[in-house]
Amino acid sequence: MILNSRRTFLKNSFLTSVVLLTCGEKLFAAVTPLQTIAMVHKDLFPDSDMIPNADNINASYYLNSILNHSRVTDENKTFIRNGVKWLNEESVTKYKKIYTKLSSSQRQKILQEIAQTNWGDSWINTIMSYLLEAMLGDPVYGGNRDETGWKWLNHKSGMPRPEEALV
Amino acid sequence: MKYDICIVGSGAGGAPIAYELSNAGYKVVVLEKGPNYREEDFSKDEVAVSRRDLYTPLLKDERHVINDREEDGSVTRYDGKEYSWSFWNGSMVGGSSNLMSGYFHRMKPDDFRLKSKYGKIDGANIVDWPINYDDLESYYTKVEEVIGVSGNTVKHKFSEPRTTKNFPYQMLEVSGVTKWFDSTCESLGYESIPTPRAILPHSALDRKGCSYSNFCGSYGCSTGAKGSARAALLQMCDAKIISDAFVFKLDSTKSKITKAHYYDKELKHKTIEAKIFVVAAQAIESSRLLLNSKNEYFVNGLANNSGQVGKNLIFSAGGIGQGRIRFEKLTKEQQRELMQPGLFFNRSLQAWYEFKAKDKKYKGGTIDFLFEHANIISRATREMYDENGELMWGKKLQKKMHKNLTTSRVLTFEVFNDWLPTDYCNVTIDDKAKDKFGVNVGAINLYSHPHDIEVGNHLAKKAKRVLEEMGAEEISVSISSAPPPNLVAGGCRFGNNPKTSVLDLNCKAHELSNLYVTDGSFMPTGGSVPYTWTIYANSFRVADVIMDELKV
Repeated sequence: MILNSRRTFLKNSFLTSVVLLTCGEKLFAAVTPLQTIAMVHKDLFPDSDMIPNADNINASYYLNSILNHSRVTDENKTFIRNGVKWLNEESVTKYKKIYTKLSSSQRQKILQEIAQTNWGDSWINTIMSYLLEAMLGDPVYGGNRDETGWKWLNHKSGMPRPEEALV
Repeated sequence: MKYDICIVGSGAGGAPIAYELSNAGYKVVVLEKGPNYREEDFSKDEVAVSRRDLYTPLLKDERHVINDREEDGSVTRYDGKEYSWSFWNGSMVGGSSNLMSGYFHRMKPDDFRLKSKYGKIDGANIVDWPINYDDLESYYTKVEEVIGVSGNTVKHKFSEPRTTKNFPYQMLEVSGVTKWFDSTCESLGYESIPTPRAILPHSALDRKGCSYSNFCGSYGCSTGAKGSARAALLQMCDAKIISDAFVFKLDSTKSKITKAHYYDKELKHKTIEAKIFVVAAQAIESSRLLLNSKNEYFVNGLANNSGQVGKNLIFSAGGIGQGRIRFEKLTKEQQRELMQPGLFFNRSLQAWYEFKAKDKKYKGGTIDFLFEHANIISRATREMYDENGELMWGKKLQKKMHKNLTTSRVLTFEVFNDWLPTDYCNVTIDDKAKDKFGVNVGAINLYSHPHDIEVGNHLAKKAKRVLEEMGAEEISVSISSAPPPNLVAGGCRFGNNPKTSVLDLNCKAHELSNLYVTDGSFMPTGGSVPYTWTIYANSFRVADVIMDELKV
């Protein structure tokens, strides 16, 4: 069953445990993957009048749940977490601030820069793929609220739909 | 308890024997590695089925090692776990037939005599089959009736002979776009053929008909309309099915199999005794089981004193292509037809099943046309890159995604041609990697003959022409030597000579009097069609042979 209590959601999450950023030998900042990824979600798939908004997609909740899935590998989870660290390191190197403290245009610059690297392309692809799962997977998984993702793309789900999330 | 028959694997190769023998009153047990689902367990849950690969083992638990051979002879070893390279299909009762799309084509008479008809090809181990089309024809018909194949026979250049006039089940309903396809083909002088499908169009055979819910391939069928080995056979007979049972070894004397060893769900070691054993675990795993079952009489693996077990592994050669049909060139009515969900496309071309090029006769193949799979997450994910291969995001991506997915549809094609058997494509046992059961995993030694690509490209050109004429845009073609894991055969080829084959013409091991292998392993060449119908038909044929043997 999907983790459906807020308390368990927070307690079990490796996305909420901090990633330490150093500058030289000194501790520069501590960030949680969840904060960074929530911001990246907004940057990759911004709200507008036409499409499901961030609340409808519920991508951070979905990501946190699905990463507890027995079929998501540890390598995949580690890569997501490492990506958060590297993204913030890029931000600190370039602007002396962690990603969430940057302006919108600075964040876009950072994303464009890392997209030119192998890890960056792969990381953005991974984050975006999970976001699209949240937006277009069955609402039973906690994303795609009111089927807004399906409605946006005129998608008709196959039947029967799942009665519960399989994680 | 000693069973009459013990069958290892419950897919298209094993189930017909379970069905026939248990209906004839014999005590049959089927050992299946995966779980036993029923119709009510299936849903169209893309996250579970397609994104998390619900129906295949986790690669950290079970995998293969792939030794990929390049044309220069160099070999690279890939551990499936590290490279996420999976050769699993459907670990469940009924096997991968649960998840097939059910594109059913018979092999053609010349497929049974490839060497005699088209001659030797350097570097390829082509042989004629020890049986011919006529030996299998009545069983192809039986599959139409028992599994349930729907279609409509159309006479064409390479129609195979039939003893019945038409399919027992009428064609499934098709999209209006097939009319454009048919008229395009007519203008090009190509013969468009309705693709037969192992799907019931209405309730029959104690199963419900198709609900046109879309999402056929990769998903289990919730109505039972799809002719899986589970829905059509195992749920229709009294064979005892032990699911979650991984068979890792067979014991034998000099001439007979005596026992099957398996681990149950709790990893407890159990055994089964039977008079006759049938191995049908899908080609790669069947060879692995025989090779892992060494004993004093068979030091190289069961039935392998000839050294032939695992040899001449084949896949289906060819590849895929696609083109996008956009609203801009269509009338309102055509736009509606294009986007109508649920209806099938079901069109094939076989006009180049044999063709001439450079004054030489080539064995060609089949082209199936179909709409892009309805999986919405996969389709959206494919929009992430622009035409230059650059990752996109933000409003630019949203606009592209919305336009492509709401005002266009992708028509795809699949090319099937012979994957020539060679000395370099086979199954062995990896001496290092073990699975969660502690059993050495199968090594897939991979190589494809350059001839396969040549033929695939010839066919793809014809398919591409159709898409161009239909006005499709963004046409792309990918013919490659990548092996499709769900189209696999060979490894225990049948033949008359015990030195060059593992099985006799009835798929019984030359060296063991009570061992049969009835998945795609027996096939020395694969024909240029998907294998499932032929595997089903051959398994019904072998069932008759076993029945005769038990009567004596």
